[in-house]
Amino acid sequence: MTERSRPRVARLLGIVAYLEDNGPTPFDELARHFDVSAEQISHDIEQLWLVGRPGGFANDLIDFDYDSFADGIAAITNTQGATQVRLAPREGVALVAALSALVGSGVAPRAARSALDKVTRALGEEAVTIVARPDSEDTLMPTLAAAIQAGRVASLEYVDASDRRTERDVEPHRIVTIDGAPYLECWCRRARDYRTLRVDRIVGVTVTDEPVVTAASGSEGFTLTREYDATVRLRRAGRWALEDIPGVTIDDDGELVTASMGVTNERWLAGRLLTIATALIAAEPASLRAEVARQAKAVAAAHGE
Amino acid sequence: MDRVAPEERLLNLLIALTSTRVRMTKQQIRSTVYGYDNGTHGVDDKADAAFERMFERDKEDLRRLGVPLQTVTDAANGGDIGYRIDASAATMQPIDVTPAELAILSLAADYWRDAALGSDARQAVTKVASRVPHESIPELPFGARATGSRAALGAIAEALHERRAVRFDYASSSSAPATRTVDPWRIVVVNATEYLVGRDHGADASRTFRVSRILGTVKAVGEPGAFEPPAHVDLGPLGPSAVVGTATVAVRPEAAHALRRAGTVVGSDGDWDVLEVPYRHLDALRSEILGLAGAARAVAPTELVEGVRRYTRAALEATHD
Repeated sequence: MTERSRPRVARLLGIVAYLEDNGPTPFDELARHFDVSAEQISHDIEQLWLVGRPGGFANDLIDFDYDSFADGIAAITNTQGATQVRLAPREGVALVAALSALVGSGVAPRAARSALDKVTRALGEEAVTIVARPDSEDTLMPTLAAAIQAGRVASLEYVDASDRRTERDVEPHRIVTIDGAPYLECWCRRARDYRTLRVDRIVGVTVTDEPVVTAASGSEGFTLTREYDATVRLRRAGRWALEDIPGVTIDDDGELVTASMGVTNERWLAGRLLTIATALIAAEPASLRAEVARQAKAVAAAHGE
Repeated sequence: MDRVAPEERLLNLLIALTSTRVRMTKQQIRSTVYGYDNGTHGVDDKADAAFERMFERDKEDLRRLGVPLQTVTDAANGGDIGYRIDASAATMQPIDVTPAELAILSLAADYWRDAALGSDARQAVTKVASRVPHESIPELPFGARATGSRAALGAIAEALHERRAVRFDYASSSSAPATRTVDPWRIVVVNATEYLVGRDHGADASRTFRVSRILGTVKAVGEPGAFEPPAHVDLGPLGPSAVVGTATVAVRPEAAHALRRAGTVVGSDGDWDVLEVPYRHLDALRSEILGLAGAARAVAPTELVEGVRRYTRAALEATHD
């Protein structure tokens, strides 16, 4: 219950502050601004109408102009001193950490960086220290963004997960930051399927004149499908590396940890397990074990073992 | 009486405590703020207990919204407790963001979509948006998502704000998991990685913790105001230009692009390019090399080479059929 009431309280106070700053405003505009339906805005204003100081007489309550309301316009006539409240510590850290991840991945760098500066300053000196790396001079990201915005096919040179260099024409849809690393969501003309490609594996990009014709995948941007369920047993020291896998369930007896998860990308999970190998005890099914062993052997071979 | 929506009661409480001249006692709140069981005071113990629960929940909601209640005790009245909200401290000051920056803030909130911080991030965007005039902007060709829940990060931010110590289990890169108690001094964010810097009670010295390596939940312990962070906190290896060392890594042609970006080519070894790569954490570099499945070879320092070998051997042992 309270999970739902806090966001609504923030919006209700937001509507009051917005109307105070900007004067009478159509429901439609408030709806777009606060990312809810115009009907919800109407409910919100009816709710605000009931709110006010102890006493509950008409002049103790927040008030709106009734005729405007009937015309679909919110015009506040008495706020009872209510206005938006400052950012809570959790809210502040959530924003700046996410902005920092965007800045670090090079996604929308200019506006993200200035937004990060402004929000960090507003939170005050003490809260969070952002350590930004120097701006990269990479032209890759702006070129990809330009191709997306122009709706043009991009011709990529791409090094795949097996370290093979390939050339492929893709219809670029969106750049997504996942944990600070940028990915390109696209339709791959060669594979005739949707692909999510790591931007740091793109070696070269050329924007062509050909228009994008395939619509973006509607599935939240992620075309990953679960291949099978895996169970991994490990000493507790390695638990951190599995905690952030989507949908993972972790059973921890204080010493040993058993993690179960749906696997969407075996190669990726095997790579993750390799980075905590000294804590690893067992992994099921056998194909996952085989992939971990394959990667470990490849690393060992590169090191002359 | 019809049930009153919790948000209506919360707003009534917020307005009442902001506009009260001195303070309101719990009983005044109960009998006058609309939405509580006005008038049932003393009717029975059950109603009293229900009111207490409701009031505690509302205090917690206000705190999570960034509006902590101040308690005002009245010596003349036997030290009974009253509450108020300092309007000037509670009000959101406008942040002068452009519509383009506001769109980036929504994208940032999306980053935590599935995470514990998701609702906090959306609330933050709503708050910032309420002081920014509306302007429609083209849809951005960008998305963002975090795979971790980062519940720990929110709890640390709150404890830091209240100056309370935190307790959590932590697996460092070099030692077995152990329970730590820490005075949180700073949260440091380096790209997509969050760190806590603070005084570790056990070591009685400043330590740095990677938030993603915290196991399970973070608990605030002890009283608020228990410490004051030093004015200057040495960020050590996290500092803007601090680099712990330089490693030498050989990489296959046209591979290991992230490493190539971080380092400089200093030579070649047959087909392979030899890079010098500055690093902050040797274990992060080790993980990166392991993740490249043979496209990179650690050359120096020895500790890095030994680390990579130890991990590949351990992986082969654990997966031996």
